[in-house]
Amino acid sequence: MMKNILKIEKIAILFLAMVVALSSCTKDLDITPKDDQDLLGEDFFANETAYKELLAGVYGNLSLTGVDGPGSSNIDGLDAGTSQFGRVLLYLQTLSADQMIWSYENDPGTRAIQRNIWNADDPIILGMFGRTHVTIAFANNFLRETTDVKLDERNVSSATRAEIVKFRAEARLLRAMSYYYMMDLFGQANFTTENDAINAQPQAYDRQQLFDFVESELIAIEADLADPMAVEHGRASKGVAWMILAKIYLNAEVYIEQEKYTECLDYCKKIIAGGYTLATDYQHNFMADNDVNSASNEIIFPLISDGTFTQNYGPTTVMINGAVGSIESNGAALGVGAGGWGGALRLRKEFVQLFDGGIYNTDTRNTIISSERDIEILDISDQDQGYILEKYSNAKSTGGFGVDQTFVDTDFPLFRLADIYLMYAEAHLRGGTGANPADLLTYVNSLRTRANNPQNNLTIADIDLDFIIDERARELHWEAHRRQDLIRFGRFTGGNYNWVWKGNGTSGISIPSNLKLYPIPSASLASNPNLVQNAGY
Amino acid sequence: MKKLKLFLIGILLSSSFAMFAQQTAKGIVKEKTSGDPLPGVSIIVKGTQKGAETDFNGNFNLPNVKAGDILLFRYLGYANKEVTITSNFNLVVELEESSQQLDEIVVVGYGTTTVKDATGSVEAITAKEFTKGNIVTPENLLSGRVAGVNITTSGAPGSGSQIRIRGGSSLNASNDPLVVIDGLPLSGVDLNSINPNDIESFSVLKDASATSIYGSRGANGVIIITTKKGRTEYTLDYDVQVGFGEIKNRVSVFNGDEFRNLVNTRRPSDAGLLGTANTNWQDEIFQKSVATQHNLTARGQIFGFLPTRLSVNFSEIEGNLLTSQFDRSNISVSMNPSFFDDHLKVSLNYNRAFVDNRSADSGQVNSALRYDPTQPVYDPTSPFGGFYQHINRTPGGILVENGTRNPVAALLQNNNNSNRFRQFGNLKLDYKLHFLPEVTATVSAGFDKSKEEGSFFSPLNSPANYTDLFVGGEGSFINEFENENFNAYFTYVNTFDKLKTDVMVGYDYQSFNSSGNSTGNIRNPNDQGATSYVNTPVVLVGFLARANLTFNEKYLLTLNYRRDGTSRFGPQNRWGNFGGAAFAWRMSDENFLKDNEVISELKLRASYGVNGQQDGIAGDLYLDRYRFGNQNSQYIFGGNPIHSTIPSERSSLKWENTATIELGIDYGLFDNRISGSINAFQKNSTDLLSDAPVADASNFTNRVLQNIGDLQVNGLEFTLNADVVKTQELDWNINFNATYIDREIKELALGQDITTGGIAGGTGNFIQLYSEGFAPNSFFVYKQLYDTAGKPIEGAYADLNGDGIINTDDRYLKENPQADLALGFQSNFNYKNFDLTFNLRAQIGNYVYNNVNSSLGQYDLLQDNAVLGNIPTSVLDTDFQRTSDVILSDIYLENASFLRMDNITLGYTFDRPIKKFASNSIRLWAGMQNVFILTNYSGLDPEVFNGIDNTIYPRPRTFLVGANIKF
Repeated sequence: MMKNILKIEKIAILFLAMVVALSSCTKDLDITPKDDQDLLGEDFFANETAYKELLAGVYGNLSLTGVDGPGSSNIDGLDAGTSQFGRVLLYLQTLSADQMIWSYENDPGTRAIQRNIWNADDPIILGMFGRTHVTIAFANNFLRETTDVKLDERNVSSATRAEIVKFRAEARLLRAMSYYYMMDLFGQANFTTENDAINAQPQAYDRQQLFDFVESELIAIEADLADPMAVEHGRASKGVAWMILAKIYLNAEVYIEQEKYTECLDYCKKIIAGGYTLATDYQHNFMADNDVNSASNEIIFPLISDGTFTQNYGPTTVMINGAVGSIESNGAALGVGAGGWGGALRLRKEFVQLFDGGIYNTDTRNTIISSERDIEILDISDQDQGYILEKYSNAKSTGGFGVDQTFVDTDFPLFRLADIYLMYAEAHLRGGTGANPADLLTYVNSLRTRANNPQNNLTIADIDLDFIIDERARELHWEAHRRQDLIRFGRFTGGNYNWVWKGNGTSGISIPSNLKLYPIPSASLASNPNLVQNAGY
Repeated sequence: MKKLKLFLIGILLSSSFAMFAQQTAKGIVKEKTSGDPLPGVSIIVKGTQKGAETDFNGNFNLPNVKAGDILLFRYLGYANKEVTITSNFNLVVELEESSQQLDEIVVVGYGTTTVKDATGSVEAITAKEFTKGNIVTPENLLSGRVAGVNITTSGAPGSGSQIRIRGGSSLNASNDPLVVIDGLPLSGVDLNSINPNDIESFSVLKDASATSIYGSRGANGVIIITTKKGRTEYTLDYDVQVGFGEIKNRVSVFNGDEFRNLVNTRRPSDAGLLGTANTNWQDEIFQKSVATQHNLTARGQIFGFLPTRLSVNFSEIEGNLLTSQFDRSNISVSMNPSFFDDHLKVSLNYNRAFVDNRSADSGQVNSALRYDPTQPVYDPTSPFGGFYQHINRTPGGILVENGTRNPVAALLQNNNNSNRFRQFGNLKLDYKLHFLPEVTATVSAGFDKSKEEGSFFSPLNSPANYTDLFVGGEGSFINEFENENFNAYFTYVNTFDKLKTDVMVGYDYQSFNSSGNSTGNIRNPNDQGATSYVNTPVVLVGFLARANLTFNEKYLLTLNYRRDGTSRFGPQNRWGNFGGAAFAWRMSDENFLKDNEVISELKLRASYGVNGQQDGIAGDLYLDRYRFGNQNSQYIFGGNPIHSTIPSERSSLKWENTATIELGIDYGLFDNRISGSINAFQKNSTDLLSDAPVADASNFTNRVLQNIGDLQVNGLEFTLNADVVKTQELDWNINFNATYIDREIKELALGQDITTGGIAGGTGNFIQLYSEGFAPNSFFVYKQLYDTAGKPIEGAYADLNGDGIINTDDRYLKENPQADLALGFQSNFNYKNFDLTFNLRAQIGNYVYNNVNSSLGQYDLLQDNAVLGNIPTSVLDTDFQRTSDVILSDIYLENASFLRMDNITLGYTFDRPIKKFASNSIRLWAGMQNVFILTNYSGLDPEVFNGIDNTIYPRPRTFLVGANIKF
């Protein structure tokens, strides 16, 4: 008995000794990231340069898809490169309409978009919804990390705090812009602000709520934003806020069934008064040096692309490589590989026909290549059918090319002054008050003069809404405006205007009106039951 | 110390008073057939705790025994033997290699048990049961051998394998089993630098009761590898084998003449692009290969006390795709001394491996299918190193690449080399306490370090890194990995009357670090340049305990418990409790069966256990992290690049749990001439670590790892071992195993399907889905429509939802890549000095999506950018024109059930050919690997990872000859 007690004691002591000795090792479970690209928040914000870098991260989400090169992505559910903001925007606004055809329909989603047979599982639609909401999340995070309380805690210098006032306004601008696109494309969005916790279930905002938020938010931040053209290239000034306001007012009838054309005119005028001027050459807007050539006076907001520092499979890289002809192998002149992407992009007939007539032969906006080609596209996968376009280029206006043969230096002109000129005319034609007819003529004719179009002395009688929608196509094609424009003109859905492959018919058929809105992606709908699927999906 | 001595003397005195007429039994234990002494045999006086062990020369000394005592001799792989002491206290005991395995020692986590006492699904595979043949990596010793274990190895020389035990229990977390070598848990299945010849045995732990001692790491099963140890007697073994391999099968594409006809009919306008050659590109990229392996093993006692094993392996394995080559040299040392009357046993293993691998891009198999067969391999006028290429120079001096690149040039002009140096080892001390011999303290420390240095090179005249300049390619990379483990445990073994107890408590600590860098292509000024990475370290800590209770030798109970902490989860979810219980009833020992003529062994088992899972996911999702863009992912403000920085996704994860319930029977019939087991199990994985959609804008991504989802695996396993004939001269043993597995996703996050299975043909296309109610990776296809003649109609799919539109809503789920039934059969036949072994493996109900035909088998692809390209002849059956119309059709989904003979080997052994030495033998053998395969699958090989047949490295058929020489 005594022996047993001794044994039990010994076993107990051994065990205790072990537990004591080894429990101390559990603190090793607190690890920190070791990669030199990764930082813990506390270490990141220890340096005051963090705030500008974090702001660049919010902007960066409009150009980049991830932090580890053009093949990386911080959203899932589709090809990394395809998830670039400008790329999905281009697909949803331009590929879905009458200007563009993508040859490789086995790239998921492209077939459904360009034939208007999409559904809620389309990866490109998912990409737009996901990418844009990530911008909102990044902006909210920026605002959360730059509250006065946080800045006090970190003893941020007054010089930096003064800058942060602007930064915060820009973050709010980018968030409002994201909601603008959600309102336009989906009519709904997950609504979160910096006051909501990470991973909290967001409420869903409908079109009216989004309209009200975008409008009030842009007006609220106006004072904190830099004056037009008084900010570093790549950042947003008051001009961008005015542009978005002008856009939502122009489309208010579509969004909230109210006419706001006068408000639209007000903001067009503010922009025009802001000092922007047309580039000396139409082509400058779409060239590798459009950040420094004369287009830098015209482009109100660019999506940055750079062959070295900001590589992405965004709209300019896609349109320059993709538009290289399968027959022509004309890539070398555009500063990319001679064969490009083998003829990925071509033109639909209806767009080509907008340039019919002698006056468009010298029009520099007409960069259509038709030689050896048939205008008809009967087989989408045959890259030799249909005309091609040479609008965007990785060449510089001063000679020479961008640094890389795939990733172009050409920024995508998301907003530019020419658009405002035509919006000014349209808002007037739609009943907005306050336009000056003489100015209107100057604006419209100046676009034609710049484009070297001999018919550059149009009168008020020449300018009606039919003219505007066509002139917008001639001026702004392949710039991600077309679907929105056609909807405003009542020509997107229904059968009053058909284009080839519309509705999956070779020469185009009517499509139902619910297609004016894209469906909420199934994954997004499932992850936030507050959203309601759009009608017809 | 003085007290301790007094204590010990006390015990001695008290015990000697209690007994009388006691003597010391002495003797030697030998191996029955060879007569070699056996060291380390355990000897116990039955019914007591008294025991001893043989020394290195097989001798033992067991004091205090008396006539009538029964001595029980036990040794790994040998049948137990009981010897009753009569008047003779000087014994010569011969042990026989066990056929019935019941008393075989089975290594389980942190200890051992015997087959007889095992309560769970644990299978021990020792050297004599290993799968034979062309074994380059250790896991292939198990191929087809164990029910529920599926091993898929590609044809690339020395390539690793995918191992699945019972199909795996996760979706997004790891499905790899835990591999433990001599007590050192590895990171993943990383075995191709280990010499198979060093392996003594495998234990495969399948049920949750057995695996739960590995807690968080056992959910996908555990494979415990025990390496060969040092011995006292001196032996020298030399094994050599030479293999001659060849890939016989070809994907059927058009030959030069057929191709010219086809183009003249289908694309007459392109006839001018045709060449005059007749090149079979597949013949050009495949080569016959020679592979040699040498193993030299010396064992013996050095310095008079240090039993040691030293083994050296040299393998030179040529691949069957041009230029591929795998060379490996290993040195392994094992030392196993004992001290203080065997109270302290030391086991030291150290292994160094050097692997030199030149990898050939298996994607060139696809280029070979695609390349125009009317063009020659070489073109004396070509500026590309004399290889024909579809590249022109325009009058302006611009190079235009017109189509697929010459695959022969791509292989010969690209040199991708990696040199990996790996060293791992383990030091284990077992100390049986002097003052408390029932308790053994074990301390084990191990490490596994690897450094891989690789380089790539392509000459200036190669189009490999094509730009308008011929820049060629040159660069290097380094990957480093380190894994450190420490574990310690106490084992307490005692018998109280009819109750045998075996209790263990322990602790385990392991850390993993990895990092690397790459130069990028230093010749190309536009390349992204040098990059580096350091993975967030992972630390795992576990506290563990186990009790084995055996009552009356018939009723067995095992309880396991483990508390695990992982650095992958935040402090609030960090710790998980895992464990299991198993009960077994040795029914055959009950009176009503004891004398049964037919049933010699019958054990019923039931177990339940819970394992955790945290492997295979990022280790820092709970931290407040930011990541800035690399050199190509920055933003530009005012012309100045700026480190744009974004917050990384956040998720508060917890343990994924797998609960397994299992019922089993171990049976033996006719004196265990026939034996085996039957298991039925159900695994339920809950809180699956799923990469699932998260509400947009609520996180910094749209999909993040979350604990949502359930997966259920139901299975049945059957094994049968039969000694069909067992006589002095003729011995025929067969082994058969069958596994039925059914995996079904019960719940997914938000009920949302998750796409998997990316395929070639289009950017971002996928063919598989995780969907509730279906097996993981079920194929997601359109239902092909056929005309009345049975010919498929291009682009015509069934409108399954009847809405009049054919879109993704009409895709449906059909079949999955996992076999419903997997069968293995092994036969070992010995007649006199001849031995003949073969094994067969079959899978039934596994489906494969033929991505070669789906992405290449359409007439449009006769155009390869600006030139002509070859296509598979399968297009003649379909007459399909356009890839995008048909790529997702179920016509490309095929039943890939197969029966394969992996290996057949015939050997002859010469006993003592050299009379000068006391014992020596030479065995000469010849065999064939990958002998035949029966299947209806139309592709090259029906056995593909994850059911998507794209560019696999084909498996060669290999003839082997070899010799085993022993001294």
